Amino acid sequence: MRIEIILSGRGGQGILMLGRILGKTLARYTSYYVAGSETYATEVRGGDSRVDIIISDNEDEIGYVRARNADIAVFMYPSLMKNLSRYIKRKAKVFIDTTFIDIDSLREYDWTIISEPYTQISERIFGTSRVANMMILGHLIKETKIVDPEAVERVIREEMPSKWHDINIRSFRYMIDRK
Amino acid sequence: MRIDYISGNRAIAEAAIASGLKFFAGYPITPSSDIFEYLAEELPRRGGYVIQFEDELASIYAVIGASWTCSKAMTATSGPGFSLMVEGISIAVMTETPLVIAYIMRAGPATGVPTKTGQYDVFQAEYGFHGGLPIPVFAPSNPQEAYDLTIKAFNTSEILRTPVVLLSDASIANMFGKVLIREAGEIEIIDRRSIEILRKKGCEWSLDDVYEMKCVGDGYDIYVETLTHDEKNIYRPTTDVQRRLMWRLYRKIINNREVLFEYSFHNYGNKRCRNMIITYGSTFSSVSEAVRELNKNEEDFCVFKLKTLYPINEKIFYEKTRDVDKIFVVENNVGLYVKEIRSILRDKDVISISVIDLEYPDPDEIVERVREWL
Repeated sequence: MRIEIILSGRGGQGILMLGRILGKTLARYTSYYVAGSETYATEVRGGDSRVDIIISDNEDEIGYVRARNADIAVFMYPSLMKNLSRYIKRKAKVFIDTTFIDIDSLREYDWTIISEPYTQISERIFGTSRVANMMILGHLIKETKIVDPEAVERVIREEMPSKWHDINIRSFRYMIDRK
Repeated sequence: MRIDYISGNRAIAEAAIASGLKFFAGYPITPSSDIFEYLAEELPRRGGYVIQFEDELASIYAVIGASWTCSKAMTATSGPGFSLMVEGISIAVMTETPLVIAYIMRAGPATGVPTKTGQYDVFQAEYGFHGGLPIPVFAPSNPQEAYDLTIKAFNTSEILRTPVVLLSDASIANMFGKVLIREAGEIEIIDRRSIEILRKKGCEWSLDDVYEMKCVGDGYDIYVETLTHDEKNIYRPTTDVQRRLMWRLYRKIINNREVLFEYSFHNYGNKRCRNMIITYGSTFSSVSEAVRELNKNEEDFCVFKLKTLYPINEKIFYEKTRDVDKIFVVENNVGLYVKEIRSILRDKDVISISVIDLEYPDPDEIVERVREWL
């Protein structure tokens, strides 16, 4: 079993944090092997960021730390979407932030698209776009069930400064609890 | 003991702390800077010192000085910084000063592409300083190995009184993995003060050519000589003394090849290994995927991953390659380390597959290039 995940967005959207929280949850609270890689430009704001995460129950299967046939993908910004589309499986679950991505531009892809204006919702409900990444993570876990949401909450508490716990966990729970 | 999901650079920093690092001096350079950044925050809390100097020359000499106070000392750099450090490293070789240099390769030459990867500096790490005495070089291929080999690098530097290079690259720096982190009490940590105990009780290390090291503060007059010196550290410009010194410094590393040489062998379920790929560092990641593809056609590929680039244990090479038909050496440079391998396996066909890529080499390209030879 090899599960491949691609996360992509722009500098400042929290893609690296999203990848690290997910990776740490898998490493600390499941028995899976997990590996990954981060690519990002030098700009803090504006450059493209990409995170690949590979999960497997067999250590030999995660040698290559890049996704070639992703089962799950997240796009918070459209810039890398075209380039990365060749690494995404048909019918893969792809999470799209429609705040920045025109839903009509996705017609050419044969994906199972799950979309919400995550950044807009985050601004409206929590007054900041900074927790949109955790909202997507919540949605991703709700739809794929790759880890227990409570383990993710534990990692958010372990990894983030305490003043950020509450808002990140509330954002993480938003899609999970939404009827 | 705890499990975490961390990058290769973070693994090096964590392992350095677990190994008893007390002094870090450096000048920030991508892609090594996050080692510095993490240690700057963490090491002072554990009673250590972290200093940023004006350049790499000052940094390496500060590390040498700190080591002579019996503090475990290290620095971290990349190609351009290592070039500036080589004079100091040569002095550390001559004065037999234990220290660890985390060398995180970027694409070069010159300033190259700071954030991107390459394996161009394998020979510089081994031989890049004057004096012709290579030093131990460990090359991790993932964060767990970065952690384990950092501990080994510190132990080696202390036991053999030598600078040691930990050769990583930009891909491993930003590669994440599940890492088993052991704390100080859970790993074997050796320092120079325990060498005499090791020597007396007997150990796997060959210590005949290693002299006891006294440090500044031990109550002795310490004389550190960078000129050719005899056993009492006195300058003696004679062929006889030069020969004794050179051979002793050479032997002390090479005679420990069995302890120092680390590797892993992956046969992916094949009964026989007809075709072998030898690789090291971040290129292993791409090779492991390429081999899965190649083995679909029952080509019986296996992988011999080197974790130590110097010294090499030739016996293991002969053993592992005895029944192999073809040997491919895959590396992300113009074909460098393959020359070392050819000098060992003189009766075998050793094919160089050099794939220059700023990222992880594309596994499909490796497959294609290897198939040309089948």
